[in-house]
Amino acid sequence: MAEYEAVIGLETHIQLNTSSKVFCSCKADSWEDPQNTNICPVCTGLPGVLPVLNEEVVEKAVMLAEAMYAQVQPISYFDRKNYFYPDLPKGYQITQFDKPIAVGGHIDLPIPETADPEGKGYIRKVRIHKLHIEEDAGKTKNAHDQRLVDFNRCGVPLVEMVTEPDLRTADEAAQYLIRLRQLLRWLGISEADMEKGNLRCDGNVSIRLKGSNVLNQKTEIKNVNSIDSLRDAIRKEIDRQIREVEKGNEIHAWTLDWDEDSGVLRKMRSKETEADYRYFREPDLLPLIVSSEWKSEILKEFPERPLDRRQRFCDQYDLPMYDADILTLERGLSEYFEEAVKEYQGEPKKVSNWLMNDVLRMIKEQHLEPGAMRLTPAFLAELLKLVDAGTINITTGKSLLQIVQDTGKSPGKLVEEQGLAQVNNDEQLGVICSKVISEHPEEVSAFRNGKESLIGWFVGQVMRESHGKADAKMAKDILTDLLK
Amino acid sequence: MANSEQEISRETFNHLVELAALELEENESDYLLTELNNQISAIRELEAIDVDKGVPPASHGVPYTPDSSPQLRKDDWIACEDADAIIQQSPVVEDRFIIVPDIPHTTLE
Amino acid sequence: MQLCDLSAVEIRNHIISKQASAVEVLESCLQRIKQVDGRPGELESGPETKEDTERVHAFITLTKDAARAQAEMVDKMIASGEDPGPLAGVPATIKDVFCVKDTPSTVGSRILANFISPYTATPVARMRSAGAVLLGKVNLDEFTYGSSTESSAFQPSTRNPWNTSRVPGGSSGGSAASVAAGEAPLSLGTDTAGSIRQPAAFCGVVGLKPTYGRVSRYGLIAFGSSLDCPGPLAKNAKDAALLLRVIAGPDQRDATGANVPVPDYLELLEKEIKGKRIGLSPDYFQITFPDLETGEYVQQPVPAEIQEAVLRTADVYRSLGAEIIEDVPMPNTRYGIPVYFVISRVEAASNLHRFDGVKYGYRADSEIVDLKMLYKKSRGEGFGPQPKLRILMGMYVSAAQYSEQYYQKALQVRTLIRRDFERAFDLNGKYKLDALLTPTTPSTAFPMKDVYGDTVLMQYADQLAVPANHAGIPGVSFPGGLDADGLPIGVQLLGPDFTEGVLLQLTHAYEQATLDDEWRTLRPAVLREM
Repeated sequence: MAEYEAVIGLETHIQLNTSSKVFCSCKADSWEDPQNTNICPVCTGLPGVLPVLNEEVVEKAVMLAEAMYAQVQPISYFDRKNYFYPDLPKGYQITQFDKPIAVGGHIDLPIPETADPEGKGYIRKVRIHKLHIEEDAGKTKNAHDQRLVDFNRCGVPLVEMVTEPDLRTADEAAQYLIRLRQLLRWLGISEADMEKGNLRCDGNVSIRLKGSNVLNQKTEIKNVNSIDSLRDAIRKEIDRQIREVEKGNEIHAWTLDWDEDSGVLRKMRSKETEADYRYFREPDLLPLIVSSEWKSEILKEFPERPLDRRQRFCDQYDLPMYDADILTLERGLSEYFEEAVKEYQGEPKKVSNWLMNDVLRMIKEQHLEPGAMRLTPAFLAELLKLVDAGTINITTGKSLLQIVQDTGKSPGKLVEEQGLAQVNNDEQLGVICSKVISEHPEEVSAFRNGKESLIGWFVGQVMRESHGKADAKMAKDILTDLLK
Repeated sequence: MANSEQEISRETFNHLVELAALELEENESDYLLTELNNQISAIRELEAIDVDKGVPPASHGVPYTPDSSPQLRKDDWIACEDADAIIQQSPVVEDRFIIVPDIPHTTLE
Repeated sequence: MQLCDLSAVEIRNHIISKQASAVEVLESCLQRIKQVDGRPGELESGPETKEDTERVHAFITLTKDAARAQAEMVDKMIASGEDPGPLAGVPATIKDVFCVKDTPSTVGSRILANFISPYTATPVARMRSAGAVLLGKVNLDEFTYGSSTESSAFQPSTRNPWNTSRVPGGSSGGSAASVAAGEAPLSLGTDTAGSIRQPAAFCGVVGLKPTYGRVSRYGLIAFGSSLDCPGPLAKNAKDAALLLRVIAGPDQRDATGANVPVPDYLELLEKEIKGKRIGLSPDYFQITFPDLETGEYVQQPVPAEIQEAVLRTADVYRSLGAEIIEDVPMPNTRYGIPVYFVISRVEAASNLHRFDGVKYGYRADSEIVDLKMLYKKSRGEGFGPQPKLRILMGMYVSAAQYSEQYYQKALQVRTLIRRDFERAFDLNGKYKLDALLTPTTPSTAFPMKDVYGDTVLMQYADQLAVPANHAGIPGVSFPGGLDADGLPIGVQLLGPDFTEGVLLQLTHAYEQATLDDEWRTLRPAVLREM
């Protein structure tokens, strides 16, 4: 049987998190608002209104272009895309058709072992075709044989980013979305939540014989609302195309609608494939000019890219990729890590261990902002130093994390106040160990008769007796001695 | 209309009418088609004009300089004074939704 | 002389000096309207009566009560020593293409007949803030598509006060007629292809098209977005200057509004015009139009009477010390109409997409099965033939396969038209003109129903005016005499970008030098008994 490879391109629509819409001063985010309350004459297309461009939209688009190594065009133009639809009040969408704000660019996508059929992991370079600014349409929903129209979302700023068909598997497509979502949140330009619709993705899929260079007929997949759905839909479509080609059938330029509930793709009779949008320059807007001065101004605060930081953490802090990946998933966390390392002055791996496990769990469960925690990087560093010095044991250390977060007091102070210092005094510990032994004669016999694993149980009893403060290792040594 | 052939055929005309979402009476149709073709002959004059490739298209007659161009809008949220008045303009409103009949079905199995 | 026949400046001065109250002035205008206007335009107007044919019919919506409240407010402010603004108590009419809050804003079409705007257009808001008393909305060609006001869905449409069997011009026919008949000293109109200047010429008043971007378009129901210009119609240059000063200037809500300071136009008026260089172009004394029978292009000279009016104006300027430069070539003038057919239609078709019966305006209520049917019936029944024509033409010439051939080409020819003016006005060039002096129109007011229906001929009536719209430059039309039938002849001045002050200055100079001309003693027919 012939071997095929898939050729996949993705088109993403990114809702920017500005305060106001792209062409009027209504709120950009009205997810929670009742229908048709976040509207004005401009975004509802009343007769006589005019669009006025939001400068923050341009700035965020420039940030994204820079992050993708795309070339920001000094002059770009807005165009009208004309068609009829109830969620499009003007009867046209203002977009950028042939002279967008940025062209080119790429991302070197790390594909983890779990997503690699050969289990090794690799880099997939994905080139970007272009980025442009456009306005969002409203929403409609079905009710019996009627449509209910809500204009709240009309005019919300979108950046559309289109890749070249460089992706080869459904998993790669999923990785692209994962990294894009990470990047958007990292730059602070979008909430990038697919379930809320502020990151949307359409996929173009075709197949060809492995090793071939041709581009065959593609189909378009629409209406996927999560990264998993995208992966699933693409996989199914690849399989379908292979089946069809094996049968000797042609692939047609269908638009396929993903049905979330049933997990199937349905063909849409899309009239839009034959629509002529009759694009022409938007006469109500002037050409968009991004001078080099303005661009420098915008990029003054441009951060280190997430994948660059990930690599740097490996190189600079001698961390395994696994750690670096988790620590740089979110910008705030990565900044927290570096700050803590600076304060700690010891082995970064130690900081990483604590951060990746206990602290990250806290952050997730309690919905904390790394940059706004009462458990500051400095406090974490202090805590680690206390453990290193033997002042407290690890168990105490871990329980202190929550207490510091709750109270905002320094670990040192808490240890003092609550007498949490480790019991590692020979005499004290010896007393507790003897007590435990004397109180459990059956276990003592059992141990002496060969059940050596009970040593762990004894240590546990000592820990309980000491309210967790005993130095476990020392306790074990003393117990072993006493039980001889 | 004399010798020059009708550039816009009845077929093209009907397609345009469809695209433009218009429904016409028959005599209206005839009038419009005639006038359209008359206007096209006037427009034909443009073809004869020899325009150098270097002549730029002008979206606006008046050139805008960085000084004369208005500034872009600051990203401030300003609530509309009277969103209700806008919705009340719609002929059919229910529960603040604008109601329209459904779109002819597009989804096929 | 009646209060309503005073100029706007005189009225304002009367009110500020308490010689008359704003309410008294208002009453005078309302009385005049009652006497000469006849019934306002409406949708189901029934058959035309004999009386209809003798009245002006400038209005669609007369807002008497609101006007009275505004006038009373002005009087109150005067009484308490406050300044109501530069237009204190001056009555004005508004072309019904502007959205005015809580007022029907119909754009002369059935599709917006029931639209009560929830907001006010910027130029109108500025007039209100300046103390103007807004009498109401006046008639226009449907969606401003036309040059005679006859295409309005609100009938009877406006008639020319000089001779009511003639058209007032269009599309700002109601504006020009209301000023000519003394119903209000000021009107706010719009000019996309001469729609202020041509009716001003037909009705014997001053009409100014400002530079594109000089006056905000926010609230102006759009036709040709790159061509539309709101502007003043008035009895003389001074009044036009007064209104222009109030409405001009950048607006945060219009991204194409030029960020250029607004001069004090009134101050500039009295300056001498000695040494001004005024050009005459042979290309503006010819009319070129297609003979649809033969498919050939025909050239005819502009009628003798009109030419003479322009040349007489040149003589007046010469006598005031200006230099007249003849034979200025403007070779691309003849392409103005074909280019206009393309560009304006593409923009119009797109601008009209929003009228779909969903959000506002007319929605068909017969058996509607699905959305497509809703669109088609609402638009089919709501639009008159002129909008439909423009939509269809616009869609045709912007279709992907024709766009290069028609639309892109038209945009390039537009550059050529602009360059004609740049060459003429270039201070380092051969002609160094301050202004170009031309006829406004190729004829005086034609009879009602004579041209309407022939859309090509109707459009060609604009050929001397439309090049200014393509180039974006300002232009003014002012009365330069009467023809043998007693109909007004309009004379036009075109100038470089943002030189409205100079154009008004030249207009004012002409007015002052010809104050005693005999033709100025004649009044429009509807006013002759008074």
